[in-house]
Amino acid sequence: MATTTKHEIGKWDTFHNNGPFETRVMYKTHLEGKGNMPNWLDRYNDAAKEIQRLLQEALDKKEGFRGYGSGWSMSHIAHQKHNMHFNAFMNLKKAISFDEMHTSTNYKHENLFFFQSGNVIKEISNFLFDHGKSLKATGASNGQSIAGCISTGVHGSALNVGAVQDYVIGINLLIGPGINDNVYLERDTKHALNNAFAEKINARVIRNDAMFNAALVGLGAFGFVHGVLLEAEDRFLLKRYVKRVDKNTALQLAANMDFENADFHIPGETAANGKPNRPFHYKIFINPYVEDTEYVIELIFKKPYQVNYPDPIPIIKKAIYRDLIVLFTSIAERCKRSIPKIIKLLHKSILPPVDIELTGTLAETFWDAPYQGPAFACAVGIDAANSPEALQLLIQLARNEGPVPGIYAMRFVKKSEATLAFTRFPITCMLEIDGLIWNAKNNKMISLTGFCKRTIEVLIANQIPFTLHWGKNADWSFPGLVQHMYGNDATIWKKQRSKLLTKETAALFSNGFLDDTGLSEYFD
Amino acid sequence: MLIVLPCKKAIFLLSLLLYLGIVPACYSVRVMNKDAVPEPDPMNTSPDFYRGKLTHVLDTVIGLKLLDGDFHLIVKPCSSRGFYSFEYKVDFGGVMLSAITFGKKRKVKIKYVCIKETD
Repeated sequence: MATTTKHEIGKWDTFHNNGPFETRVMYKTHLEGKGNMPNWLDRYNDAAKEIQRLLQEALDKKEGFRGYGSGWSMSHIAHQKHNMHFNAFMNLKKAISFDEMHTSTNYKHENLFFFQSGNVIKEISNFLFDHGKSLKATGASNGQSIAGCISTGVHGSALNVGAVQDYVIGINLLIGPGINDNVYLERDTKHALNNAFAEKINARVIRNDAMFNAALVGLGAFGFVHGVLLEAEDRFLLKRYVKRVDKNTALQLAANMDFENADFHIPGETAANGKPNRPFHYKIFINPYVEDTEYVIELIFKKPYQVNYPDPIPIIKKAIYRDLIVLFTSIAERCKRSIPKIIKLLHKSILPPVDIELTGTLAETFWDAPYQGPAFACAVGIDAANSPEALQLLIQLARNEGPVPGIYAMRFVKKSEATLAFTRFPITCMLEIDGLIWNAKNNKMISLTGFCKRTIEVLIANQIPFTLHWGKNADWSFPGLVQHMYGNDATIWKKQRSKLLTKETAALFSNGFLDDTGLSEYFD
Repeated sequence: MLIVLPCKKAIFLLSLLLYLGIVPACYSVRVMNKDAVPEPDPMNTSPDFYRGKLTHVLDTVIGLKLLDGDFHLIVKPCSSRGFYSFEYKVDFGGVMLSAITFGKKRKVKIKYVCIKETD
């Protein structure tokens, strides 16, 4: 049997030290050993039973319950004051076989894989690689759990792919302790697995587009995500360039995404007609405190997989234009993390020299990101067409009302079908600022909360539609925030949740974050 | 021959010798498995590389006989999974201990993380 250990922790903190938060209990569930229970399915179902037992206990006490993976979110989305469940030891993996496919599916069974919620991106990538496959896109690193990724909308900068949730095509949810509370959910318009598969995991099937899209970026509020079905693709390589380009060219590309007709190109990255290729990934780095005439950009092009290529990890390990926080801490280390010195340096410094070119798989390119110390990150999503204007506004905010110890970056992601995806524009520019957590009083600076609040106010005042990254710092209690960002979609999300859950289980899967954002509202 | 040095000079030379002895003698080397996923530990909140990882520490002194050749220190195994990372630390105390015991006593300080069990 799966075994759970209970820890009365009192306080819990995120990986990046954004807490601590008052927390009564943390549970850790370990799967039954392979020796005692060799069958994959038995162990998966055994774990489901154990989680449902914990759900019953929490319900009996009228308490909340929330699973979490790596704790990488900087907002309080993963936190639950009563019961938190550490999912990482629940990491079963399975390739889907032909006889588990729905008869009317358009998916190829060799591309479909089922993962238990505690699998982190790196182990998923390893498993897929062994099957000759790859994820379609990831975030800038690889430590997030798959359930955490989809629940908060983790994204990279894949212009034509989208965020992690956009290649998830089925979800197994435990929505309560009862026999009918094990649900396999997929779209009605895009069938993937057959009912026999759902029966094997003791789940009842719901095929419903609206409910699936709502539960996809479910913020942990649609039940305990136990398993995820995702569509992979054949292995591929990525060739990465980091360049300095004219600022206006970088921003023009951000606004129109018209790489094919840009006056900038990288030698060798052109089509037969001589026009520049469209990159897989585009990212811009900006130090808001200096008037650079050039910006640093990261361009990544997709290439067919081949066996013989130089090991990119030694280069990636030294590369600093990766995860924005890696870049920022490399700057901060020069000042021994002294906030006044960092601010002084940012005011006179251009960004460090660019990284050298490299080629690697997706998993290698977006490799491990070590712990960087207490860090913050704020990210707003805006239509790419509005991104130069939004950038100017937020640069002015950082200069006039800051400074804050951080730098900006822009990433670009294809629109998601998920109801509460923050990547909701045709191409969403994720305009983010990452940096070190600072003490506003000691340094006589604007506070992080104040800066986040002003970011929202500035975008509203300038009538720029926006969203916020669910897993990052923001003023989540800003009045009417979610309704402003999502309009009717916020109501649709709440209604779908109310349809799936009872009033009691909706409370079970709520937390402070949902209360702060008004998303815990239940429709009878 | 006895060389007598003025006090300040002697202290300076002694400090220099100690510095030259200590600095190169204290170091740590961490070997990492690039494809592996570390075994997690949500209770480990150390503010460094080991944050969130189940970390094993071995800090001991081993005794060797004068003519012993290879020495195998058996550590708590990571079952059949292997190491995610392995850090070997040498400090001044360890170097001194080895020196004054002519290598018969050796301080061993190892920190390691196993690979996460996978299914």
